[in-house]
Amino acid sequence: MFVQLYRIHLNRRSRTLVTVISCLALFAAVFLGAWLYGENGEITNLQLRKLPPSWEQPFGTDWLGRDMFARTLKGLRISLMIGLSAATASAIIALILGLAAATLGKAVDTAVTWLIDVAIATPHLILLILIAFACGGGAKGVIIAVAASHWPVLTRIIRAEVLQLRSSAFIHLSAKLGRGPLWIAWHHMLPHLLPQFVIGLLLMFPHAILHAAALTFLGFGMSPHTPAIGVLLAESMRYLSMGLWWLAVAPGLTLIISVQAFDILGNSLRVLLDPKTCRE
Amino acid sequence: MKRKAHYLKHFTIALLGSAFIMGSMETVYADKESIILAIGGENPEGYDPILGWGSYGNPLFQSTLLKRDADLKIVPDLAVDWSLSEDSLIWTVKIRADVAFSDGSPLTAEDVAFTFNTAASAGGLLDLSNLQKAEAPDDETIIFTLKTPDITFMQHFISLGIVPEKLYGPGYARNPIGSGPYKFVRWDEGQQMIVEANDRYYGDKAKIKKLVFLFSEENAALAAARAGEVDVLGIPSSFANQDIAGMKLHVVKSVDNRGLMFPLVPNTGKKTPDGLAIGNDVTSDPAIRKAVNYAINRQALVDGVLDGYGRPAYGVVDDMPWDNNKIRFHDNDPAKAIEILEKAGWVDANGDGIVEKNGRDAEFVILYNSKDILRQGLALTVSEMLKRVGIKAIPQGESWDRIKKELTHLHVVVYGFGDHSPLEMYKLYHTSGPEPLYWNAGFYSNPVVDGYLDQALLAKTFEDSIPYWQKAQWDGETGFAVSGDAAWAWLVNLDHTYFINKCLDVGQSQMEPHGHGWPITANINQWQWTCN
Repeated sequence: MFVQLYRIHLNRRSRTLVTVISCLALFAAVFLGAWLYGENGEITNLQLRKLPPSWEQPFGTDWLGRDMFARTLKGLRISLMIGLSAATASAIIALILGLAAATLGKAVDTAVTWLIDVAIATPHLILLILIAFACGGGAKGVIIAVAASHWPVLTRIIRAEVLQLRSSAFIHLSAKLGRGPLWIAWHHMLPHLLPQFVIGLLLMFPHAILHAAALTFLGFGMSPHTPAIGVLLAESMRYLSMGLWWLAVAPGLTLIISVQAFDILGNSLRVLLDPKTCRE
Repeated sequence: MKRKAHYLKHFTIALLGSAFIMGSMETVYADKESIILAIGGENPEGYDPILGWGSYGNPLFQSTLLKRDADLKIVPDLAVDWSLSEDSLIWTVKIRADVAFSDGSPLTAEDVAFTFNTAASAGGLLDLSNLQKAEAPDDETIIFTLKTPDITFMQHFISLGIVPEKLYGPGYARNPIGSGPYKFVRWDEGQQMIVEANDRYYGDKAKIKKLVFLFSEENAALAAARAGEVDVLGIPSSFANQDIAGMKLHVVKSVDNRGLMFPLVPNTGKKTPDGLAIGNDVTSDPAIRKAVNYAINRQALVDGVLDGYGRPAYGVVDDMPWDNNKIRFHDNDPAKAIEILEKAGWVDANGDGIVEKNGRDAEFVILYNSKDILRQGLALTVSEMLKRVGIKAIPQGESWDRIKKELTHLHVVVYGFGDHSPLEMYKLYHTSGPEPLYWNAGFYSNPVVDGYLDQALLAKTFEDSIPYWQKAQWDGETGFAVSGDAAWAWLVNLDHTYFINKCLDVGQSQMEPHGHGWPITANINQWQWTCN
């Protein structure tokens, strides 16, 4: 019924808009919820240990009686924040390197492509672990590791895009009229790159979030009682054999949902921003 | 990189471990004379007593001069007679003449002297620095000359396994030969160890001919036990509340305790010779330490964090013969804690829920080993309990490495101790040297306590030393216990929990020390299979 209503009244563009808004609302809810819970997710309550999900504790409680719903929300917030900041940093690195490679001449281009090849050739998780370890762990280490390892693919895309733009007529004309390369990059290329960049950034979020979760799962990063999703999942492994399934299921599901939401968000935005599809 | 390799290794171990169980099970159950134990205790340094093997728990391959029975009374093992000279500096020990190592060569006084002299010069985990020399005037007599009188030296007679002088060398730790009830057969590192009963053992011969120690991770061991493939399973108490078909729960009392170490000196920027910063301005106030002690609900910790397998700890040597029962007190008393704080000037004037004094909040960090889930639970719940009295304790997980090399003198740390000898108490509470590591990491120093501890060492017999150990805890006026300086907040004594095959009778286990090695095997020659 509901779906049908959509079909009748909304065109694809509006539907996509609704999807985008609901994804954003979901993230807002996570941040708001975690903020509302405040300290509550950390509180141990020895009277309420190992309780399965119920109305009072929708995600159950853990071995120290902490409310898993609050912990999951706070964990999601930590994972989202790490993922967002790392992906943003990564995207900015990609933008700068991509622009530099395509506009600043042969030597810079060679250096940047070489850097991309090196970063892509190193096994991803090992690179992450190496950087996180070198930065001394902690949330800072995880952010730096994810930020410093996710730029290569987007850099390639941006570099290719710029190379293509450079050979187009209006750029040549602009150069003939005496504009410097930086002016051209700023006024002619950046506007064309922006959609690519935003979508690349959004599609990088799920990667970054999953990798941040993987690093915290392996024990790099924060104190083991910090409720990052990876830490929660690692902790739940111990109790699976005791039958406390909800410790793994709830945080795992929410992680999948938020990663999927970002993916949908990215793809929907692509539909909206791409001139070829935006009017469909 | 390293971490990854580590995980890979564990994964491989688990795989190989399960493959091993499946491959060998049928033969194992065909004769009931061999059992499989998954109780951990793989020692990466090997099984060399001189390097510390067996100093907590039972050496198994080697035998000792003396040992403790199930009631912790000292009984002879290799020794038949032992006496201390009038000036308390010379021990004369006679050993039995009929003892052979498992390779057939006789165990003589020379081997004993060799073991002690080598251990004294090795400077490993064992502190035998007080030993001047050990000599063997004949095959059955050893004379130990001490540098200073020390009655606790006897503990080394109980814990140091004797190694054969002729066979001792660099490879010994990985191929130990001794005179204990079992002899070493093979060790596949990271997987399993096989040992067989020693036919040449001079004591009661073990009834179980073969033991297989399985070294696998908790979950793999638990799964193997559920499949009926393990006969003795050591398990954290949080896993003890379950039924495993064919097995019964075996709970062993222990002196394995956990407590909070307080830095006792203020932070004046002083450092140890190795450059570790010292001191904490909050916990150096005795009122804070006492308030913490009174505010904690120890029984709730036992019920909640240990799942009921344990008992509240009030001192470092609870229920040992040298325990002073006057140091017991009523905890879970927030009112009293608040009163103590108020008297000392700690009040919450700004209404933020945390008491303060001279503008300083009652706030400190509780460090725990980030690998240790039990210590994590204690740190978290204790900090919750301290909120009630306006003390802000921030739990923080760190690696052992960082705790030991950077933080141990700066913050409150969840430590675990517990030994069969009061010597540990001496190390924890006697004024320390400049670099105490985890012994007396808080730089506790009380001349009166030092006096009692020194007098205890000087006692003529071990029994004579007991009153001094007790007075060091509390003599009516001072001491390191809560009524005195409250140098630590002891929290809980653990019970060690095992699942044991219903057909296996393991007799009466002795109170176990801090968990390393295989303390449950202390009475292994009484173990027997009761089914057909």
